[in-house]
This record gives sequence, structure tokens and C-alpha cells, in this order.
Amino acid sequence: MTTDAHTATALQETTELRLQVAGMSCASCVAGIETAVGGLPGVASVTVNLATGTALVGYRPGVTTPAQIKHTIRDLGYEAAEKLEGVAALDREREARQREIRRQAAWMLVAWPLALIVMVGTFQEIWVFPTFVPAWMGHRYFLFALTTPIVLGPGLQFFVNSFRGLRHGVTDMNLLYATGIGAAYLIAVINTFWPAAGFGGPEATFYEAAALLTAFIILGRYLEALTRGRASEAIRKLMRLQPKTARVWRAGAEVEVPADEVEVGELVTVRPGEQVPVDGILMQGYSAVDQSMLTGESMPVDKRVGDQVIGGTLNKTGAFQFEATKVGRDTALAQIIKLVEDAQASKAPIQKLADLVAGRFIFWVHVLSLAVFLFWFFLGYARFFDPATRLMLTPYGLGEIGVFGFAMLISVAVLVISCPCAVGMATPSAMMAGTGKAAEHGILFKSADAIESSSKLTTLVFDKTGTLTRGEPSVTDIRPAPAWTESDLLALAATVETNSEHPLGEAIVRGARDRGLSGAASGATADIAGFAALPGLGVEAQVNGRGILLGNRRLMQERRVSLGPLEREAEALELDGKTVMFIASDGLAAGLIAVADTLKEHSADAVRILHQLGLETVMITGDNRRTAEAIGRQVGLDRVLAEVLPEDKAREVQALQERGRRVAMVGDGINDAPALAQADVGMAIGTGTDVAKETGHVILIKDDLRDVVSAIEVARATMGKVRQNLFWAFIYNTITIPFAAGLLYPWSRQVVSPELAAFLMAISSLTVTMNTTLLKRFVPSPRKPDRVVKPPQTLAPVAGGAP
Amino acid sequence: MHGSQRTVRLAGLLGLAVAGASAALFIVAAGAESHTGVARYGGAAWVFLLAWIITMPVLAPWLKGRARG
Repeated sequence: MTTDAHTATALQETTELRLQVAGMSCASCVAGIETAVGGLPGVASVTVNLATGTALVGYRPGVTTPAQIKHTIRDLGYEAAEKLEGVAALDREREARQREIRRQAAWMLVAWPLALIVMVGTFQEIWVFPTFVPAWMGHRYFLFALTTPIVLGPGLQFFVNSFRGLRHGVTDMNLLYATGIGAAYLIAVINTFWPAAGFGGPEATFYEAAALLTAFIILGRYLEALTRGRASEAIRKLMRLQPKTARVWRAGAEVEVPADEVEVGELVTVRPGEQVPVDGILMQGYSAVDQSMLTGESMPVDKRVGDQVIGGTLNKTGAFQFEATKVGRDTALAQIIKLVEDAQASKAPIQKLADLVAGRFIFWVHVLSLAVFLFWFFLGYARFFDPATRLMLTPYGLGEIGVFGFAMLISVAVLVISCPCAVGMATPSAMMAGTGKAAEHGILFKSADAIESSSKLTTLVFDKTGTLTRGEPSVTDIRPAPAWTESDLLALAATVETNSEHPLGEAIVRGARDRGLSGAASGATADIAGFAALPGLGVEAQVNGRGILLGNRRLMQERRVSLGPLEREAEALELDGKTVMFIASDGLAAGLIAVADTLKEHSADAVRILHQLGLETVMITGDNRRTAEAIGRQVGLDRVLAEVLPEDKAREVQALQERGRRVAMVGDGINDAPALAQADVGMAIGTGTDVAKETGHVILIKDDLRDVVSAIEVARATMGKVRQNLFWAFIYNTITIPFAAGLLYPWSRQVVSPELAAFLMAISSLTVTMNTTLLKRFVPSPRKPDRVVKPPQTLAPVAGGAP
Repeated sequence: MHGSQRTVRLAGLLGLAVAGASAALFIVAAGAESHTGVARYGGAAWVFLLAWIITMPVLAPWLKGRARG
């Protein structure tokens, strides 16, 4: 490659920059940053998330630099710093949020007492106020003295930020606030010092409008800062789980080291009551480990030698040693934190639409404000103005206000009342609460998009082996010939298969152990000789001097073993999809053992609830039709797609999509990856392969199919909350804009004051905040304590082998 | 100053021109209806401000698009 070609390639390659952005307050701030940064040369993509206070920028390093990007954001009036990871990020984020909360709280302490005094002073001559409010409190110079520090103190941030935005060609909410506050204050000052100027005279000073407008906006900002902090609580909880220290064996001695210094392959000791510091495989000891913090499982899980332990979980009973297999960023907990962070930083399509609407809203609000001003200036005032006009919901009159003052008052009210501040928080706050709620139950949505798609599903497609079934065959039936017992037959078969690596042989050995025939299964008491595997047929061996055959019907036919009545029994079992193995001793049939894959504990229960949710359920498998249909009947599936080659699974999903279905694929294996990617939502079971987890849009940490139900219910609840929030965010604006624009004025003779407009705006933010908080109470139906869970189905007839 | 900033500045100047023209038009229209000086010039200032705020974000992306060809 030539130097030019290298340079061209370097310029094309984009790098990701994650920034923590502080000081954003609404959707227009998001739009402003996205417009300004997106306009920089070399910036390929920008995604700003208001709720997490993050920006994800894709840029070409040769063209622009992180410093330029940060400078552009800071120039707009926001704080921008590269996002740290882990505890450092947590600390910085908390520090920035607390700084913002403290700042707005301090401004509230300035704005609210002064604004209330200004309000009382303004109404000094009205109602009962003259009896206890001295006249001097209503004097315009006194009101000017109190309002000026409000406008130039707490209110100054809006003027500074809107100026910074305008320098980059960006109009945002700050501009709405600045024009609203500035106009009200300016009219009041003019009427104070130049009362004959024609703005309504000394009786129409509007100081309380500027003061209360500022106070309400500051209150809204304060509430939003509090909400953002609460919404990221899920990540904070997960980060708190990260253990600080670990006991590691180094140079023959146990030493305590920071958990992030543990290396792969090191032996780690965990005592009762301690947290497991990193991921690993248990090498010595036995214990019960509480994994509820990561998986939501209510009961501690038994851990034996060879079992996997997860960092961040709590060791309950015994001490054990394990070998570290994943450390630092690779641990399951670190991956979960990253997934939740990524999901919360991403944008759902509905949020992109809301941001777009909010961004455009600012423009159209100014257009409307101008149109309203021109109408009332040139037409409305002359035709409809009545000196008895009052401000809505107040006893305060406008007096002899001039045409300019009147038109401008309405124009400012339109500006303030139209402000879609709550829109910015409506979607991300619900999404964050939803992803956090899901994570509590061991369900990880990789993006906000996945939540939105999961809420719209119509069809669930399940992989069979490892998803609906355990994926390992078990002994289901033992039929001994006369003179044999079930135990003798199983013990003999297990003895022959002791060292077998065949899945069916392993199932027999496991079956013998489970029935307490461990001595026979281990072969400890038997004399085995002449073991031979017969490909496609079975095995043969000499056990205690007897010639034993264990295999299929063909093996028995080749060795001329008469099966007698066992033949009919075998056919009946095979009709149920079970795999039958015959056993012969010294040329005589001793019995048969049937083996089949078994259903997972909650498969049927999960499918039943999915039907209650109105979803269609389909199973897709490479197994033969008879076997597939047998399991389909047991689980209660609507449809079974059998004999589907792994490479055709994605095509089947696509075929469903082409028929208008919104499909989720639930799978665990490498062969499910294309179908998981093809589906509208790919749900990977956490116990499955890494490939499935990487491809899936949703990860179910536990091996429990009821989490599919929980995932869909959480997604539906979240999207319901998003829609409610958007309704509450827009409804105030939609209903009140015509009032503010003076549509009813000719009949009502009342106008909306700017402070009433600001109050409605703050109510809108408060409603959205409260509504999102309600999502914390949501419990998916499988997790409800009063839910009656049907007893697990014991055995499902499935032939082993096919995935 | 890179290209993007130049474009924004140009948009700002063009926006000022459009806003100035709008304000001038307002003064003429208000004068024709014999409004007071305060109403005429105060209104013109408000129209100027709103017109500038409206035109800036329209002109900036348009000019950026033209600059990119």
C-alpha cells in the first residue's frame, strides 16, 4: 500500500470517543450538541444521551481531535470530559451531578425567597395583602432592586448559554428562557424608569413575571438534576458489587491483593461471607453462593469442583479455592455493567423522534411567537384589547398597557409555555429505569432499541436443544426382561459405559449415579474386559466373565439376539421420540433403556404465560419431525419447524418476518447466531455460548425461560411509560399554547402570564419525573410472589443428537 | 478558524441581514398605522431578535450543505 493509500485509509477509519457531558437540561441541549459536534469536520456520528449525560462521538483522528470535540461542547456552555470507567467514572459522574444539584439548589435559595417577596409586593394592593404588607414593598424601585439580582444571578446562566449556542448556530431552551426572562424584565425596567414610554406605564411592571419565571425554571432544572441521578442508580448498584480485594496464592502463600490485580490462572481463596473477587472455576471445596445480585435467583446456588463462580457474588457457607479465568474488564460483572451502560447511552427510535420533534419545536415556537406578536400588534390589539384585561388565575390587571407591551406579553408567554423541557427526559428516564429494572432480574438489554423492539413482538421462536430442553439426554425408561431388575439392568449398562464419551453412554452412567448405583457405575466392583465401541451400533464388553452387548436394534439383529416382547415396547417408546438401547447378556436379551433429552424446569410455564400475553410460539430444530412434535405438544407450542438445518434457521426467521411478524429468536448455541442476528430481537440464554451472547440483543443471565416473559413484560412496561411520559410532556404545551397565544382572549379578556407558563412547564417536568418513578414498582408476572408455578414437567421425549 | 466556524459566522451575518430587513419592514408597516415611536422601535427590536433567532439555524445547515457541495 502506498503512503497516500495509508493516509486515506487512516482518514476513513473512525475512532470512538466517550464523553461525560454535564449541564444539559433538555432535548434541545442534546440537539444543540449533536448539531455543533456533528458539524465538525471528521465527525462521522454523534449520539448524546440526556439521561446519562454522555456523548458518544465517532470521529476520524486525522481530521479532528478529542480536544476539538470537547472544546466545541464546552463552548456551548456544557462541561465535557472523557468518560472514565468503573469506580472513577462513578465518582466523577456523582461529583458532577452533585455539583449541578448544589448549583441549582444555591440559585433556588436566591431566586425563590426574592421572587416570593416580589410577588407579595406586586399584589400589595390586592385582596388581604394591604392589611399586612407595607406599601413600600409594592414600590417599583423596591421590586426592581429585588428582581435584578434574580435575573443577573440565577438567570444569567440562560443568557450566557444561549449566547454560546447562537455562536455555533444552535438555538436551545436557554434561548427561550433568556428571551422570556429578558423581555419581561426589560418591559418592567422601562415602565419603572420611563413610565411614559408606552409599555403600560408604572402599573404594568411585570417584575414578578421575570422573577417567578426564573424561579420556576431553576426549580425545573433542580428536579431534572435529581432525576438524572436516580435514573443511573442501576449502574451504581452494579458497580458497588465489584469486590475490592482478593486472597490469592502467590509463591506458596496466601496474600491479599486488590481484586483488579488478580491474574488469569491464579488460585483464589474465598471464605464464608466473602465476595467472589473475579470469575473462575472452582478447584477445591464446596459451598452455596448467593448469585441473586447478578441473576435475580432467590436461592443460593450449590458450587462444586468444576463449577463456574462469578465475581461479585457472595459466598454463603463453605470455603473454597478457584482458578481465576476472567479478570478486570472481562469478568461477567464488568461485562454486565458495560452492557447496561451501553444500553442506557443508546437511543431508541422513539427517542430519536422525540429529540427531533423537540429540536424542531424550538424553531417553530419562535416562528409562532413572532406570528403571534405581529397579529396582536397589527390586528388583535386594536380590535379586541380591553383595559379590564386580567392575567389568568390572578387578580392582577394589565391596566393601560400599550400595543407593544400587550403583543410582547403574549409573545413571551407563547415562548415560555411552548418549552418542551420534559420531552428531553421523557424517553431516556423511562429507558434507564427499564434497563435497570431488567438488570435486577438478570435480563440485559443491549440497547434502548432492543427494549422498543421487544415491546412490539408478535412471535417467539425457540431453539430446542439447550433452550427449551436441557440439551443433555437422561434415562427416561428402564424395561428389564424377566429375571432382571431395573437396578441390575441399569447398573450393568453403566458398568459397560463407565469410560464412555458418547452422550448416550454418559446419560446411562449419570442415571445410575442419580439412582445411587455409584459403585456399579464407577465400575469399582466389576471386572471389565474386552471393551469395544462398535460405530453406529453400540458397545460390547466382558463384565465379570459375561459377554455384554449394549446398543441399537441393528446390533441385536447382527448378533442374533431375540428381543421378544421388548421389541413392541421399544417401538412404543420410539414413537414418543425416545432413543432406545437394548442390553443383552451372553446372547440373551436382558432389557432396554430409553434415553431422551428433558425439558427445562420452566419451559412449559414460560410458553403458557407467553400465550396469555397474546404471543405466538414456534420451535425451530434440526431434529426429526416426530421428536420435534412430541416436545412441541409437551411444551404447548403453537408451531414446530422441524428438520431445519442450522444454516436455514435464519431463513425461517426471515420468512416469518416477511409474513409481517415481529420475531424474537431465543437460542443459546453458535448455530443460533445467524437467526439471533436476523430476528427483530435476539435473546441469548446466558448459559449459552459467547457467540450467541455477542449476537443477541437481549441476554438472559439465568438459564430460566421465564425470563423471556419478564424481558417482554419489562419492555412493554417501559414503552408504556415512555408513551405516558411523552403524553405528559406534550399535553401541557399542546393544550396551553392556544391560551397563551390569546386564542380565547376576545371572549375571556384574560391572558396567560409568563410566570403561569413557567409554572405549567415545571409541572410538566415534575409529572414526567413522578411517572417514571412508578416503574420501580413494576414486577414481571413470573416474579410475583403470589404466582402459582406449575410443577416442572419431568421428562420430554426427544431423541438426542440433533441440535 | 476552520470552515465550520466560518460557515456559522457567515450564517450569523446573513441572519442579521434578514433580521434587519424584517425589522425595517416592521417599522415601515407600524409607521403606516401611526403607532408611537416606542411601539414602532420596540416592536422592531423584538421582530429583529426573533427573526435572527429563526433564520440562524436555518441558514447555518444550508450554508454547510452548500460548502460540502
